[in-house]
This record gives sequence, C-alpha cells and structure tokens, in this order.
Amino acid sequence: MAQLFPESANVLARTTIILVGAGAALGIGIAYAVQSSPLVTRQDVARAQPVPFSHKHHVAGLDLDCRYCHVYVEEGASAGIPPTHTCMTCHSQVWNEAEALQLVRDSYREEVPLRWNRVHDLPDFVYFDHSIHISKGVECESCHGDVEQMPLMWKANTLQMQWCLECHRNPAERADADARPSDDCYACHR
Amino acid sequence: MKKPYAVDVEILKNRREFLEVMGATVGFASLAACVKQPEEQIYPYVRAPEYLVPGKPKYFATSLARSGVGRPALVESHDGHPTKIEGNAEHPASLGGTDVWMQAAIYDLYNPDRSQATLRQGAPSTWKRFGEEVLPRFSASLEGSGCAILTGAVTSPTLAAQLDRLKKTHPKLRWYQWESAHLDERFRATQAAYGRALDVVYDFESADVVVAFDADPLFVDAGSLVYARQAARRRRDADGFTRWYVVEPSPTPTGTFADHRFRARRADVGAWVTELAAALGLQEGETRAAVQAMANDLKAAGKKGVVVVGPTQPADVQALAFRINEHLGARGTTFKTIEPVVASPVDHTEELRALVKSIEAGETKTILVLGKNPVFDAPADLDFAAAYDKVPLRVHVGAFVDETAHRSHWHLPARHALESWSDTKTFDGTVSLVQPLLRPLYGGHSAHELIELIAGRAGRREYAIVREHYEAQWGAALESRWRRALHDGFVANTQHAEVTTAPKVVDVKPRAVDGLELTFEIDGTVWDGSYADNPWLQELPKPITKLTWDNAALVSPATAGKLGVETDDVVEIEVEGRKVDAAVFVLPGQAEDSLALSLGNGRRRGSRVGRGVGFDAQRARPSDKAWFTPAKVRSIDRVYTLVTTQDHHRMEGRNLVREATLAAFASDDQFAKRPDAKVAKLSLYPEHPREGEQWGLTVNLNACNGCNACVVACQSENNIPVVGKEQVANGREMHWIRIDSYFEGDETVHNQPVTCMHCENAPCEVVCPANATVHSPSGINEMVYNRCIGTRYCSNNCPYKVRRFNFLLYQDWETPSLEPMRNPDVSVRSRGVMEKCTFCIQRIQAARITARKEDREVRDGEIVTACQGACPAEAISFGDIADPESKVSKAKADARDYVLLHELNAKPRVSYTAKLTNPNPAIDEKVKG
Repeated sequence: MAQLFPESANVLARTTIILVGAGAALGIGIAYAVQSSPLVTRQDVARAQPVPFSHKHHVAGLDLDCRYCHVYVEEGASAGIPPTHTCMTCHSQVWNEAEALQLVRDSYREEVPLRWNRVHDLPDFVYFDHSIHISKGVECESCHGDVEQMPLMWKANTLQMQWCLECHRNPAERADADARPSDDCYACHR
Repeated sequence: MKKPYAVDVEILKNRREFLEVMGATVGFASLAACVKQPEEQIYPYVRAPEYLVPGKPKYFATSLARSGVGRPALVESHDGHPTKIEGNAEHPASLGGTDVWMQAAIYDLYNPDRSQATLRQGAPSTWKRFGEEVLPRFSASLEGSGCAILTGAVTSPTLAAQLDRLKKTHPKLRWYQWESAHLDERFRATQAAYGRALDVVYDFESADVVVAFDADPLFVDAGSLVYARQAARRRRDADGFTRWYVVEPSPTPTGTFADHRFRARRADVGAWVTELAAALGLQEGETRAAVQAMANDLKAAGKKGVVVVGPTQPADVQALAFRINEHLGARGTTFKTIEPVVASPVDHTEELRALVKSIEAGETKTILVLGKNPVFDAPADLDFAAAYDKVPLRVHVGAFVDETAHRSHWHLPARHALESWSDTKTFDGTVSLVQPLLRPLYGGHSAHELIELIAGRAGRREYAIVREHYEAQWGAALESRWRRALHDGFVANTQHAEVTTAPKVVDVKPRAVDGLELTFEIDGTVWDGSYADNPWLQELPKPITKLTWDNAALVSPATAGKLGVETDDVVEIEVEGRKVDAAVFVLPGQAEDSLALSLGNGRRRGSRVGRGVGFDAQRARPSDKAWFTPAKVRSIDRVYTLVTTQDHHRMEGRNLVREATLAAFASDDQFAKRPDAKVAKLSLYPEHPREGEQWGLTVNLNACNGCNACVVACQSENNIPVVGKEQVANGREMHWIRIDSYFEGDETVHNQPVTCMHCENAPCEVVCPANATVHSPSGINEMVYNRCIGTRYCSNNCPYKVRRFNFLLYQDWETPSLEPMRNPDVSVRSRGVMEKCTFCIQRIQAARITARKEDREVRDGEIVTACQGACPAEAISFGDIADPESKVSKAKADARDYVLLHELNAKPRVSYTAKLTNPNPAIDEKVKG
C-alpha cells in the first residue's frame, strides 16, 4: 500500500506539536500575567468614591491615627469603616458647609448609610483577621502601603495568596519576633 | 410547586448532547479561572452601636418552648442576626445541653415559607381591616358570651396572668388548651395518686437503679436535657455505675441506654408494673423472673432506685409506679412531685371535647386559636375540623398557613420566639425570660399583645406587658433583677417547691388488647407536627430507624412475617372504623404484635417542606385511647419508598462497637484494645510531627443515647444544606456527623456517632490529584474547597465514609431570608465540591487568635466544637492531645479508648471510649430474648 502521507508531513506534524505546546505555554503565561496585573488585582488603581475622602489630607495633613476611624482593628477581624457619626464629630464644626461633604451631612440627617466603594476586598473564602496581625506587630502600611500619600485610596499590594504567603513564610521582616504565622490552609480558609 | 430543596436534574439524553455540554463546561471552567472579583460597596453605620464589634458574635440568653415547656438557650448572634443556638450552661434546667428542636429553631426563624401576611379568607388583607372587622365582634362576644381562646400548654407566667385577668373580668370567656403531645394520663395519674395534678421530676444522678417502663426521659421528657446529663454522668466511668432497665414497645434513645431492654406491647406494660409491685410486696400476684430480678435490685438500692413510667401509659399504671417509688423511699432522692409547671394543668382531651360540644351547641361565636393546629392534630373521633367550620368567626395565629389557618376566616402571622418578649417555665418550674434577638422579620403578632387587644387595651407592647408582670412582683428591685434575669436567662431560685402527699392505692385494671396494637409515638424529629415545616428536622435521620422525610408503621420482623408484609409495603390500619394507610418499616427491637406510628407527619397544609411527608397518624388516633389502641391491619397492594440512611456509609461487621460488661471489664480492662493488639503497625507514611497543639476528639459510647442534637448542631454551625428525599435515597445526604445504630439481637441498640476521623495517615489525602485535602500541623485533615475539582477519589478511599460531596447545587443561594441564617465564619459550598467535618475550624481559629493576642496557649476547654457543645450527655471531649493534662488526653488514656478500623493503621484522631454495661447476673441471657 502506498504511503498516505509524504515525508514532509513529519515536519508539519512536529511544527504543529511544538506550536500547540508553545501556544499553551504562552496562553498560560498571558493568563498568569493578566491575573496578577492591576487589570485584575486593581493594584495601584485609585478608586473613585462618592465623597472624595482623602487619606493623605487626614493622615499626613492632620496627623490622625488610623485607629481614630478604624476602631475595631485591634479587636476584630474587620478594622471597620467609620460610621457617619465619626465624620461628623469634626465636620459638624469644620467644613460644615462644604459642598463635597453634602452626602455626609445627608447621611447623618436622614440616617442612611454612606456607600463607599470597596478598595480592599478579599474573596469570601478568605477569613482575614486584622486584630491578630496588629497584635503581632504588623504595621498598617505593611499591607496598605503609604496611605498618607493617597488622596483617594488604592490597593498598594495585590492581596493575592502568593503575596500573603511571602510574609507568612518569612515573618521576620514585618512582624514581631514572637509572631508564629501559619502557612496552613485552614489558617485563612474554612 | 417546586420544593425548596429539590434540584432539577437534566438527564443528558445522548452522546452528542453530552459532548456539547462537556465542551461548554471545559470552556466555562477555563473562563471561570480568570474571574475578576465583583466590585463591592461598603455601607457603614450612621451611628455605630457601642457594644458591637463587627464579626464578633454576641450571645444572649433566652428560652425556646417545646409543647409549651421552656428549653433554655444561649443564642449566638452575628451582627444582629441569630445564627446558632447553644445550651445555657448556667441554667439549672439545661446545664448546657440542647436538643434537635432547639438547634433547628434557627431555621424556623428564617424559614422562607413562614407566614408573612394577614390573611382574610386566605387572601392578603391588612391589620387595619382586622381591627375594623374582627375586634368589635370579639369584644361583643367577650362582653356577652361565646368567646373562646384555644392555646397550647401555657407555662408563661405573664400569659397565664393575662388570661386569668381576662377571665376574671369576663367570666363567660372560655380558655381551652390543646397539645397533641399532652400529659393527660400523667395528670390523671397524679390526680388519682395524690389528689391533684402534679409534675414528676427525677434525679438520675442520684439513682443507682432505674427501671423505665415505656418512658423516654432522656429524649422526649420535658426534663430531657438535664436527665440525659445526669444519667450519662453516672455511666461514663466504671466507678459508681448505674443499672438501667427499660421495658418499651418501640425502641427509644433511652432504650439504647439500657443494660436490659425488654420489648413489651404498650398495653402489656401495665402487667409488668403490676408484677413489679407484687415482687416488692405492695400487692399480691405472680412475678416473672426478670421482674423479680429488677425488684431485688430496686430493693437493694432503696431510695437510690427509681421507677419511671412514661406519660403514654394509662393513669393507673403511672399511679402504681408513684407508689412503688414512695415505697422505695425514693422521694426526695431520685423522685419528687412538684406543682405543675403549666399554669393550668387541665385535661387537654376533655378540653377539646368540651370545645367541640360547645360549638355544636352553638355556644361558641368567636374563637382565637393561638399558635396551635387542632384541625390537623385533634383526635380523629372528635371531628374537630367539621366542628371548627361551624364557629361564626375563626381567627388563627400561627407561624405557617397550616390546616387550621386554611379553615379560619382570619390568619395572623405569629412571631418567632427569637423575635419576642415573653417568659416560660422549664420542667422544674424555673422562670426563664424570652428576649428578642432581632426585630420581627414579618411583623407578626404576639400572644401577649393580642390578649391585651381583645381585652380592650390596644397598643400595649409585649415588652411592657412582660415587664409589668415582674414589676408587680419585684417592685423597686425590678431594674436590677430584670437585668440579672435577662442576662442569665432565668430567675434564680424559682424552681417549684416539692409537694409531698401520701399516695393513695390505685388499682391497675388489666388491659388485654387482643390482636394487634397500634401505638402513637412522639416523633423523633417533627415532634407532634409542630416542627414538620423544618427541613433540617425532616431530613434528620430519626433515632434508631434512621428514616428521613417520612414516618412509617414500625413492626418487628416476626409480626411483619405474620402480616405478610415487608419494609416499604403499604398497609391499611383500621381503628374504630377509621382507616389510615402507612408504609411498613421492619425494625428489630419493636415489640411483637405492636405497630408504632409517630405523630406529626402527613401534613396537608403548611410549608412546601412538610406537605405530603409521611403518614397521618392523627386520622386514626382516638381521643380516649390517645397512645395505644387495638387496630386491624391489612396489607394493600401498594409499595411506598421509604428512605433510611441506615445502610448508607456502611462499615458493618468489623468490630466497630466494643462493649463489655462491668464484670468482664474488671477482669480484663484491655478488652477494647485487645482485638487490635496483633495488628502490625507498619506504615509508609512518616510520623506526624507533634509540635504545638494537636487536636483530637473522643466520644464516650456510654454517654451517647443517639438523640441527634450533634447532627443538627453541626448542620447549623457549618452551613450544611438539605438535599431532599430523592437525593437522600441516592445516599447523598450531607450531614457531617452520622449516628450509626447497631442492633445486637432484637433488644440492644448501640449508637455510634461517626464524623471525620482526622487520620494522621489519612487515606484521602494521598489520592487527591488537586492537593485539595491536606494535613495541618495540628493534625486536622483539611478540606480546601477552592482546590477541589470533584474527582471524589478521597471519598472512595475513605474507610470511614465520612466525606460528603455536593453532587448538585444543594445550597440555596437565592432565597434572601436564608442568607442571614448562615454562619458567616464558614464558607458556603457550591456544586462539585467535597466537604466534611473540620473539627469546627472556625471555632479553633477564633480561640487561637484570642490566645495569641494574649500571648498564651489555648486553654483546655476553650474550644468547644458544635457537636460537643450541643450534646446534652457530655459524650464528646475535644482538645489538645499533646497536653497530657487536657480532658481529651485523659479520655484517650482510658483503658477503654479505641479507634475504628485500627487494622488500617490510619491513626484516627477521633477515638471512642468503649461501652460498658451492667447487666444483672440474675437475668439469664435467655430472658433477654
């Protein structure tokens, strides 16, 4: 029986195999790059907010401590977004007629919460706890970056698992000496 | 209508369709891997509540009611929504235990099928219109005559006082009470023996010998939480071990607890008690050998012996048991009688009969039914439904639009206990406050407010009503005592005083039931039907039979043979001319010629969950023979598929339950370990490192009575979905704990709770291609949902069969009312993911974080798993096995400690304390059956 394929078909076959392999590798590479790029992680992308709250002004300018507003950071899993009441402790006196703060005053008067756009959002299967990190000497800026230089807030880090693990596996750089972080799955996932 | 738990399964019809779907699946799966997180918004408070730390649960003491009697609870609330019920350890009537009904109360609160609107003739109406149309007619009937109020058993001191006041000002008002699970025979018995209605309270911790006749004190009795704990405390260890005899028609959790269990028809139990009385010299008569042995034991125990006769026995039999207890000198030690905890200990059957009579005579013009469902659960011969239709104005208040609601002119949604201010009394009389955990979800009406409204005092809120009741008692001390009582959940030292009266001699009538007897049982999951709308309870395998989503006519193998039926055959049961169909379930342990059918099933109305589930025993139930009756049974040519989980996840035949008598244990304390001694301990795995905390758990098989509280507690804590009958039939139930029941002969039943064993050499871990199940340094076998691709290799390789797979999207992701019910600390799993016990990792991590913040190690007892916390019998210990001083280490050091399937050398972290029994050597094995 005559051969079905000419010898040149071998070249075609080899090239195809190589191209498919390379294509898959490239595809995975691109997917990986996209997944860890700001396009997906929103790292370094400032988010618009209904009220143009500036951390830069309040922290660098007025020297407020983080805990003045984020009161639960030492006790709870969530650091807490301040209630309108906290804003109004000052803004009932200063800038109390500023147009930018109209929504804040409305919220206070009408008892309707402000709606902030969430900047730091972990997936729902991650159970992060602020209090233990603070208690073990991890500074706020270790994760949140240079907040005092951020007019509008952005994520300074990817908040992806790989980034978490860098520190959980080498705590010495950012945490107290007695910190014993775990890289066990159940440390964060339940 | 679609059942809320049902999942549509599209069967792929041919290869082409299958390939299309698979292709799409692969495509979407790769897309899914590149998701961008959806953008979320944050709504902070306007004014933050001072005491609340977001994400930190708060606990509030309150009280739930079962058939009117309080069950003390501590409710966990996450950011304002209650998510979990725990026991109230400080409460004298709880000691920290819970039961399945308490655990499932959370679902009832968020049940999407709850009644949410005022209905007039079944159509939505308004509260305003109710006020205009109904209230004047009620007031008129109240001022004149013909006004009736029907409630369940009332223990609430406030409600009782309100009703009392109303009756004083309006003497013609009729207040009727009806509970399907009533205590009529109990009150008739105390009436006969002591001349007045009394409650009976036992102390099993002080008892050396307990003889229970047709009684289920550890599960069904109002004091079950305390009784289970007391009974277990005296049987955990070999020292001071008690002896329990149980004589019963159908196996109960208490029966599984016994050293000697005898099967007897309910009609014949009276003869056993009579013989016991004779053997103790209280009367003349013959005695069989087994009873003589019991009598000798009781005599030797004296005041530390006690006889318990259940409220399902005729009054004279119970009265005789009281006399036996008095004769033994048990009063004050193991037995006492107290003022009844219900405000008005009337005969419920007579009440209902009187109500029907008054309606037939045209005397009842208006009726208010508060939270009960008599159209469904009234005895069949009273034909309550027909009578009810004749009342000119019928108003029903209930949590569901049930059978009674459908026949009422008006239906008002009721408030759930977790939305209400009220009070209850527990079985010992302790006054327990009920406080709301959240605002009523659907408005809803409170019995307190409605009574005030009828009395012409509109606008009074239940908080004020309840508080005023206590203000009258406490006066100036109100504020401090109120706060104390709210915090503790009960008012200290309000137990009812003992009532001591010499018992009268009551003759026991001989009761010969020829032929077959039909017994009515309180259902192990849906109770008297009041819990039939709860899917957690419907899917919960009932104790011993492990039936889910149905009840069945239970018969012994021999009786089934006589009737020519087997499991799943439908029989027609005829009682006094009334016929009911029921599927047969053959159960060893059931008395011969006795057929047991539980109440509360066969609901025709109500939620999507309860309708059409099981068989309606009520339709056969006579009013004068509420608990057993002669019956004719005929096999009809029909088959019904019952679903039992008994044969799912089988491990049988491998020496799983280890048991020895006390005597055998004394001569060989290594009995539990002996079968494993010759097993070579070779392993290819490296030793698990023992650094830091090492979690482990033990189950004391002596304490467990198979009550299921742990199963529902786990379901509530870990967001475990309900799958529905069809899926359970496929072996796909999702419960992380199962309680295996093993029969030994026809008499003895062993319970064995089985959860993930957290093997150190876990067979599941090595076969996972996705590394989705891994081992933690502290010895937990972890399941990482996000890595799981659903190969199910792990489950195949698990020798204990404790892994559960989400074959379909079982979890309800759409119903908004179920969202606040879920534990926010546990992931809600989706389709295609394996899951299993995590040792309540969320609780472990919470305790660890607290400890680390305080620069210390986790203290022993600081972590309580959901199953451990729920167990009324303290059967479960959990803790750090690396700490030799921990409770769990001590339990594991016990000679009786053993692990399941030791021969596989999987090194489970869950172990069992082998069962000990204390049989009476005088009772020959042959007598046992």
